[in-house]
Amino acid sequence: MGASPPRVADVVNADATLIGRKAWSDPGLYELEKKGIFGKSWLFLAHETQIPNPGDFVQAYMCETPIIVARGRDGGIHANVNSCVHRGLPVCRADHGNAKSFVCPYHSWSYSVEGKLQSIPQERHVEGRTDKSKLSLKAVPRVETWHGMIFGSFDPEIEPLEQYLGDQRWYLDAFFERFENGIEFVGSPQRWVLNANWKLPMENQLGDVNHGPFLHAAVIPPEANAEVFDHGYSCVAQPGHGATFRLMPEDAPLESVAWGFEGMASLLSPEIHEYLRELQMKAEERVGPIRARMKGLTYGVYPNLSFLWSNTAFKVSHPRGPGKVEYWSWSVVPSDAPEEYKRILRGNHTAFFGPGGLLEQEDSEAWTQQYLGSAIDFADDRPYFYGLGVGEEKPHPDLPGLVSVTANEFYARNFYLRWRDALMAVEEG
Amino acid sequence: MSDDFRASLELQHEIEQWYYREARLLDGREYQKWLALCAPEIRYVVPGRGNPLVDNALRGTEEMISVERELEERDGDRLPIRDETLPYLMLRVERAFKPNSWSENPPARTRRLVGNVEITGTEGETFSVVSAFHLHWTRPGSATFLYAGQRRDVLARAEGGSAGDLRIVRREVILDMADIEYPTLGLFF
Ligand code: FES
Ligand SMILES: [Fe+2]
Repeated sequence: MGASPPRVADVVNADATLIGRKAWSDPGLYELEKKGIFGKSWLFLAHETQIPNPGDFVQAYMCETPIIVARGRDGGIHANVNSCVHRGLPVCRADHGNAKSFVCPYHSWSYSVEGKLQSIPQERHVEGRTDKSKLSLKAVPRVETWHGMIFGSFDPEIEPLEQYLGDQRWYLDAFFERFENGIEFVGSPQRWVLNANWKLPMENQLGDVNHGPFLHAAVIPPEANAEVFDHGYSCVAQPGHGATFRLMPEDAPLESVAWGFEGMASLLSPEIHEYLRELQMKAEERVGPIRARMKGLTYGVYPNLSFLWSNTAFKVSHPRGPGKVEYWSWSVVPSDAPEEYKRILRGNHTAFFGPGGLLEQEDSEAWTQQYLGSAIDFADDRPYFYGLGVGEEKPHPDLPGLVSVTANEFYARNFYLRWRDALMAVEEG
Repeated sequence: MSDDFRASLELQHEIEQWYYREARLLDGREYQKWLALCAPEIRYVVPGRGNPLVDNALRGTEEMISVERELEERDGDRLPIRDETLPYLMLRVERAFKPNSWSENPPARTRRLVGNVEITGTEGETFSVVSAFHLHWTRPGSATFLYAGQRRDVLARAEGGSAGDLRIVRREVILDMADIEYPTLGLFF
């Protein structure tokens, strides 16, 4: 059925300044993405604070594959494909909870939270014995954590997670390391489905802060944009990852640099002001002089995890075919923040982002329309232009990777070059 | 929620009329007028709606399958879809009148039907009201969507206000979709 996919080298040109529309809409390329990207990368699953106790579990996805992430009786983290080895039904239907075992609805085979097959009720009526040790749920072959962030990979040979994240850790640590007692994920993610391709939400967070003053002009005040133009950086530690932030001047007033005040100062009680000021005063000691002045915007971790610093959300873009994405968004708060402030942070996430978000309303409109544009006929000779700022990215004395102004689209070119390599590797078999 | 409260016909009539007017303002995109119906201390909440594990200990009870167990906001440490105060609602209203709020340009066409209006309690001039709504939504070039849900409101008569002069002090919107395959939940439900 259907035509064979276009050749990857014809879709993304050699420096990724031109990218054909089929990259977002071709079902054949999507199959290559599954194998070359989602089968070969570290994919974000959940955060340890969501499953503190033995038996706790949450659902996750690796591309379209449903995963149960559970805290085992042994205290370890187990990620298994949520599909019975008997006839394939999901053995767990809840989003989250605490379970002693997972019992499949069809014939009641039961599995431990670690994924081991424990009982086959029909077995007592037959003479032969079944070797249950070979019938566990399919385990995700590699699971590793960093700062409580749980990742899984279907590639048993993949490099260690920390190596995969590389210098992107330096940028992420500017957030994680700021909080003495770490962070926690608030409940379950918001999850919603859009008729868009998974890569555009990802690209948006990887470094596209330049749509802000335009697409979001109805909501984002011009002063906020001025700060991005004056102090904004886009950094690529490794192709496929990206980080954008403002590096505030050394003499900037504390409240304009400190994490947590942005856009909300007037909503915060004196007690919260105090908490945030103290956090900032300790920042230099905790993350060093450069990162203490960093005011993050958006981050991306290849292939589909992003972090929205300004509204403290982690997001994952789960593909559901070329034209559909299930977007997940978790609210994140410092564990030791006053309760009142946790609620405010949560509200600052949901009012602007997620399915009811004021800002994300515009983004999801744009992503949906981009997919329509990518799926039209008779425009394949007009690939999208990704050439802004070619070659203008440079090393920086204080910042790892290559660095540029935010209008340089090198973060996206790097992502699509990695995408190109990954798909061509599958193409060549 | 008390099941034995009986509102007077007069009060029932007043509140129903108030809801019809509210729906007309929203469907007519008269959002400034709608905003004037919100009390300064309004809390506007849309809980998330998850799929929790069935609790075997509750088997056979109504609690086992209760709607409340599905609401992801109640215990304060979970994530709602929205949890807003007046400044956020003002921002939403302000945005609606800007030509560059692209997801509303052209704006959606909506029609709300509000029904099953049940006054569940009063305290002085404050009324607890539960109602149901169907909200038909469409935009040019887009499919049409039907939002269904329940509103749990606390309405208060404005200080010295006459009949029909009510303000929303609290609104909790329980949405009935199982998966969110809608363009936005950023509406005024
Ligand atoms: S399909 Fe799971 S027990 Fe038969
Ligand atoms: Fe955006």
